[in-house]
Amino acid sequence: MPDDRVIVVGAGPAGMAAAVALAEGGQRVLLVDQARTPGGAVHRAPLPGVAPLGLPEHRRRWAALTARATAQASRIETAFETRFAGVDATGAVLLTGARNRLLQPRGVIVALGARERVLPRPGWTLPGVLTAGAIQTGLKTSGEAPQGRVVLAGSGPLLLAVGAELAALGRPPVAIIEAARPFGAGALGLPLAYLAEAARYRLRLLGVPVLTGSRLVEIVPGLEAMVDTPKGPRRFAADLIGLHDGIAPNVSGLGGPCPIPLLRAGDGREALGARAAMLDGTRAGQAMLALLAGRPVPPEPAALIRQRAAQARLARIYARDEGAALDALPPDTILCRCESRSRADLAALGESPTGRDLRLTGRFGMGACQGRVCGEWVAHFAKTRDLGRPRLPLRPLSIADLLAVPAADTGD
Amino acid sequence: MSGAFDWKGAAVPFRAGETVASALLRSGVRDFGPFCGIGQCQGCLVRVDGRVTEACLALCRAGALVQPLEARDAG
Repeated sequence: MPDDRVIVVGAGPAGMAAAVALAEGGQRVLLVDQARTPGGAVHRAPLPGVAPLGLPEHRRRWAALTARATAQASRIETAFETRFAGVDATGAVLLTGARNRLLQPRGVIVALGARERVLPRPGWTLPGVLTAGAIQTGLKTSGEAPQGRVVLAGSGPLLLAVGAELAALGRPPVAIIEAARPFGAGALGLPLAYLAEAARYRLRLLGVPVLTGSRLVEIVPGLEAMVDTPKGPRRFAADLIGLHDGIAPNVSGLGGPCPIPLLRAGDGREALGARAAMLDGTRAGQAMLALLAGRPVPPEPAALIRQRAAQARLARIYARDEGAALDALPPDTILCRCESRSRADLAALGESPTGRDLRLTGRFGMGACQGRVCGEWVAHFAKTRDLGRPRLPLRPLSIADLLAVPAADTGD
Repeated sequence: MSGAFDWKGAAVPFRAGETVASALLRSGVRDFGPFCGIGQCQGCLVRVDGRVTEACLALCRAGALVQPLEARDAG
């Protein structure tokens, strides 16, 4: 049944800003999120009674945005604990979870945020090995640092952020292993807000070894992190290891033919961080209003272009040779976590496997995550971009979920 | 509201609003495949009262029966 709303998927900074821009422009919105509260990853809401962990500046910005959303409550309907299964070629959107429905909205803005890139390493599938972001999500919601020794490894500012939050909760990490060497003079060209944030993290991390130019090369059961440093190998016993090698747009799997306007916003369009995500959400909301009214789409705001330049500088500061790290992996290293397929399994497909070889014979990208975790690494080894993208439904759906859609929604 | 759910015969306590993955991890259970924490990797799929779901997204319900996938799929 046609619906006069625009669906915004994801209630983080980008989705929330998009919903506000649409509503302030007079458009009704259905704002959907899989979590029980808005906030996304960066403004993840703590459990009732838990104090929020984020930096005051971030919290103020988020509070200002949510106040604008509250002022537009008559135009913004929310659906939490609700998962987005995709948009099909007829423009129908399937939502499952708290209430299952099939909707025909005027347009869709997808603000799914970023995923963490995690380089494969021997032992990365062992229990107790999570992404650094998953550890952070736990901290932000529970207000508790995990019991035991935590090692953070990989590359990127998030390692420092999570380490500082662990320290603030009274259990600093045993070590932070950073592949790049980010603390040189190059950092001085960053915006002051970035530098202030980094300084605050470093202060919290006094006394914690931060090994730069170093790689976690293997995790042995037990757990132990085997690290190559410029001064030779080191080992760190751990109870929990958080891996993180930067962020990239979450792979939505959308992109097929679609009769309604479909826009991406925030880190899910281009991973530029929380500040840019809010700006980009506003941009996407205004672009959707223009598309629906047949007006020309406004250009990107200058503030967003400045954030892109700052992120590019940050990427240069965190430069490291990922290709060399991948090429040094032993043949039995698992690449595909879903189907336990190794680098050797990939090599067995021959010199230049096709997408069909990779998927049908190799099983790469055929697991429940549809290649979201391993796709980038498989593409590196297979020297292809042809792994294919995730398809509808965007996540495994049960038959029960489909049957729970009211018959009135499915029409003919 | 808070309570406990069943995991392999043990009562796992949880806090109001907590996900199944969070409660399991806080109880020291780590062998259910958690990794990304945001519903992307599908590693932490479990059955909650028979329905397959990501443990990192599913909210805890008092008295729920939470099972690893293998337990049922093998039988």
